Amino acid sequence: MNKEIKLSVNDLKISFRTDAGKVQAVRNISFDLYKGETLAIVGESGSGKSVTSKAIMGISAGNSIYEGGEILYDGQDLVRIPEEEMHKLRGDKIAMIFQDPLSALNPIMRIGKQITEAMLLKNKANRKEGRVAFNSLLAELSETMKKALAETPNAGVSVSDVEKYIKTFDDFNIQAIKLENSYNEARTAAEEMIAVIEDLLFLTEKKQKVDVVATLKLIGRRLKEIDDKYFVSKYADTLKAHAAALKKVLRAERKKGNFVKKLVGSRTVKNEASPETVEVLEALEKTAKDMLEQPQYNFFRIGYYVYTHPETDLSQMPAEEANELAGKFLDEDYMLSFIALEKIAVQYSFNKTIQNKKAAIEALESAIAFFKAGDFSAQDADATCKSVNKSVLAAIDPLAVVKDNVAYTFGGALQREVEKYFFYMKNNPKEEARFARQTAQREALLAKGKTVDWQIVPKSVIEPDVQIETIVSVLNRVMNRFKADVESADSFDADKRCVEIIDYLKEKASQVVYTLTKRIAKEKAIKLMEEVGIPEARMRYRQYPFEFSGGMRQRIVIAIALSANPDILICDEPTTALDVTIQAQILELINRLKREHNLSIIFITHDLGVVANMADRIAVMYAGKIVEYGTAEEVFYNPQHPYTWALLSSMPDLDTNEKLDAIPGTPPNMIYPPVGDAFAERNKYAMEIDFEMQPPMYEVSPTHFAATWLLHPNAPKVEIPKIITERIRRMKERGGNHGE
Amino acid sequence: MENNREVLLKVDHLCQYFRLGRKDLKAVDDVSFEIRKGETFGLVGESGCGKTTTGRSIIKLYNITSGNVYFKGQRIGAGTRSYKDAIKQAKKDLKENKITKQEYAAIVEKNRALIKDAKADSKEVDRQYVESLLRSLEEEYAEKFRAAEGDEKQLKALRKEYSNRCRVAQKSRLITQIQMIFQDPIASLDPRMTVRDIIAEGLVINGITDKDYINEKVYEILETVGLVREHADRYPHEFSGGQRQRIGIARAVVMQPEMIIADEPISALDVSIQAQVINLLNDLRERLGLTIMFIAHDLSVVKYFSDRIGVMYFGKMVELADSDELFKNPLHPYTRSLLSAIPLPDPVYEKQRTRIHYNPIAEHDYSTDMPSFREITPGHFVYCNNAEEEKYKQQVK
Repeated sequence: MNKEIKLSVNDLKISFRTDAGKVQAVRNISFDLYKGETLAIVGESGSGKSVTSKAIMGISAGNSIYEGGEILYDGQDLVRIPEEEMHKLRGDKIAMIFQDPLSALNPIMRIGKQITEAMLLKNKANRKEGRVAFNSLLAELSETMKKALAETPNAGVSVSDVEKYIKTFDDFNIQAIKLENSYNEARTAAEEMIAVIEDLLFLTEKKQKVDVVATLKLIGRRLKEIDDKYFVSKYADTLKAHAAALKKVLRAERKKGNFVKKLVGSRTVKNEASPETVEVLEALEKTAKDMLEQPQYNFFRIGYYVYTHPETDLSQMPAEEANELAGKFLDEDYMLSFIALEKIAVQYSFNKTIQNKKAAIEALESAIAFFKAGDFSAQDADATCKSVNKSVLAAIDPLAVVKDNVAYTFGGALQREVEKYFFYMKNNPKEEARFARQTAQREALLAKGKTVDWQIVPKSVIEPDVQIETIVSVLNRVMNRFKADVESADSFDADKRCVEIIDYLKEKASQVVYTLTKRIAKEKAIKLMEEVGIPEARMRYRQYPFEFSGGMRQRIVIAIALSANPDILICDEPTTALDVTIQAQILELINRLKREHNLSIIFITHDLGVVANMADRIAVMYAGKIVEYGTAEEVFYNPQHPYTWALLSSMPDLDTNEKLDAIPGTPPNMIYPPVGDAFAERNKYAMEIDFEMQPPMYEVSPTHFAATWLLHPNAPKVEIPKIITERIRRMKERGGNHGE
Repeated sequence: MENNREVLLKVDHLCQYFRLGRKDLKAVDDVSFEIRKGETFGLVGESGCGKTTTGRSIIKLYNITSGNVYFKGQRIGAGTRSYKDAIKQAKKDLKENKITKQEYAAIVEKNRALIKDAKADSKEVDRQYVESLLRSLEEEYAEKFRAAEGDEKQLKALRKEYSNRCRVAQKSRLITQIQMIFQDPIASLDPRMTVRDIIAEGLVINGITDKDYINEKVYEILETVGLVREHADRYPHEFSGGQRQRIGIARAVVMQPEMIIADEPISALDVSIQAQVINLLNDLRERLGLTIMFIAHDLSVVKYFSDRIGVMYFGKMVELADSDELFKNPLHPYTRSLLSAIPLPDPVYEKQRTRIHYNPIAEHDYSTDMPSFREITPGHFVYCNNAEEEKYKQQVK
């Protein structure tokens, strides 16, 4: 697996405090979410799917207790960061589509405002944050360059030049992105205009009556927005002629319809567009399409050219020529030497971190020895933690764009485990005493022949040795990571890192430059509403949530979640309340966004058909545990856990004729979770051991795991239910063809 | 499917309009279908296409706008809008001198008679039903009385039983033969009534006063739907979703209906529970010989459960066929689009599935050639016009 891990959940354990006792909703689950993949979590209601997702969002209920584990994202442990930090991530980096749309919307706010609110706020925050990130990385780069130059005196560049290079990069990059933004806006306007024109022409062809005047006005507005000089280029005069023609036909159309003024708003008469209008629109469409087909400018290059030659205008030059000219100039004048300099810095910084890592490994080894010896005082342990953390932090490459979760969160994790050790050292005797006391009390009562209606609370003790092992495993984890890094140091590709850094800087710069006004936000929101399939979005923009039906509300919620362009999207049963066609639309929408933005998605549902559509990998959850975990193909074509079988066989497909295998009974009460396999009670394949011991995760293939005793080498062979084997056979025969 | 079975429910040009400001909202527009005894009829379509409204109109939760609903050959619902419209049209024609005064008078008279008939029918239907019930009771007990002649004690008991049953019969209505199961098991159960009260409510309204009989009935029904006696004294909130839906089913089944309208009974339930409820409905259908009208949007479940399927789109029935036939030869473009959107538990197929889009304006040209509901092959109906009919017939061959 060399894919980038976006989010990893390790050993997460969440319980809820209730009057009846502690409900263990999530029990030690771990999974990784890779960049650009969809992980589906499947299970019945009450299996802890939603609790997990809410924990990732940091919106668990008030009575929840985090009993252990961590959620790592972007170098942070989401379980433990303060609320202010979480604010920055929630909705922006990690967004969620909720199950119940009514409770997720504000009833007294118009829909439009609710969609744009997040966009506007996040835009403001993003600009600030982008500026900080851009500056800090650039500063770091210049700092490293200086240090590197100090050690390699004959590089041909003086330290004062570095400052100049960095400043130039900063300035021209921002300029380039400004140009690009304005170009892209004009392009989008042109695309939108074409879509509107196509719609109108189509309806006219089918002899449908439409509100021609309003549509023409809309086209006029879009036409006005196409005003970027690079995009318009040599078409400026043509566009002007089109605008005049459009005005003329608009006047003609307006005369045709007789408007009825009402007290509120105006009623329009629907007409068929006249042939002249159609002609004008067709011509306009053709021009716009021509413009879109023109080769695009490379604004990174042009930005530099314009920056150095403020008085020249490249917009009249054909794109290829301009690109070549500017590119050549950029390379010769600036980029080659900048990249060379950058490479020196990157290599220098990397070499240094490798050295630091070697030192850190030594520190870690000594710390391991220290903890393994046992019998340490709190002060000593604290000092060791601090020193080892210091050396680990020093070993993080400041120029690495992708943050290493393990190293960043190492300090906190170690500190926590050590504190836990001392807590249990102190509390273990107390717990033992309480347990002994309660047992004695109960036995005494029983001996007297009384009925006892309470149960002994099980003792919560951890043996010191076990805890020390946990501490050592935390140390080992980061040490192994570092060792692997040191070993692969030779294959380090400085060029790749350079490109990464420049891309990152470009991205941050575009964040800084991109300003969202209310007007653009509104247009974006309307576009988004149309994308999620809300008809007459412009009118509905001003409505309140109660004016929407259930399916429509769900789409609004999806639009809100997508409005901030998140990094990770959590979908908590987003389509359960919708019917098939809409469901298909929404799933297509989510899939498209995933492709376009390289989103990582956690998709929670109990509809296996939807899972088959969406998921790259599937985790089946039952009673707070992951019972099976694998790629979609593996789980559907080669299911291993009886619970997965039960889920698969309880749902009919188009060829099912036999009686469905319903899962008998209900999920267990999680206040007293079963000692053994939680599914044993409802499992007809359950063996004796299932009631006594929890099964470990068995590996079926490197990507496929299942927690069931049936996979134990000594287990008896059982037949998978016929309904599933039949279905798998049918699916394999067809190889993806279902008639039609 | 045997076509010679008795027609239990016949819906004939049913229209259900709602007033929406100046205009009418045509929730159900000219829908006709028949349901035969013992079959399961599935009704599918996207939300807001009028599936539920059709169901509710049949059991007279709404007063239907026009069209007729026949149950067991009796007209249980009739709308008058179409007749009124005919009179209006005639008046207009008269003004434009298209028809003579005599013709106008004839049309008015004919339609007025139809309106009167419709109104009378919906009033009379229950009276006639009660009368027929009483008549059959009378016959039944006349014989019993004759047999028990001389034995005063038995005669007295019989008389009491007879009067009780007469009272029940007088209160019964034909419409209770059709019962409905609602979509949301939480919202459709009164939170302040025990399960016993909920299930027994229909019996009590029907005039049954014998507590023991009611209890016996409730326990029996509870066991039929897979619950236990002890559940009778609990409140709905103490049950899980699947159990609540079972209570809803029990409430419908206790009235010994001939037909059940199940309005999305499983869409609010969990996967594993869905299978339980489907199996239960299947069981009941076999055991009690029920006829079921199954309204849902989950097509794979409808396919699994129904004998015939009707597809609705914006208040119109666009296609109606046996379920296998419908899935094998979908003719109407909307049906094709609907079928192409079904998610199946097969990742390879899912990843390459492409959805067919349906755009009524692009698909149909109804400007001159008006569409209607036509039979393409025996038992397979499609909403189409002449040109399309030809096309579909070619396609089926």
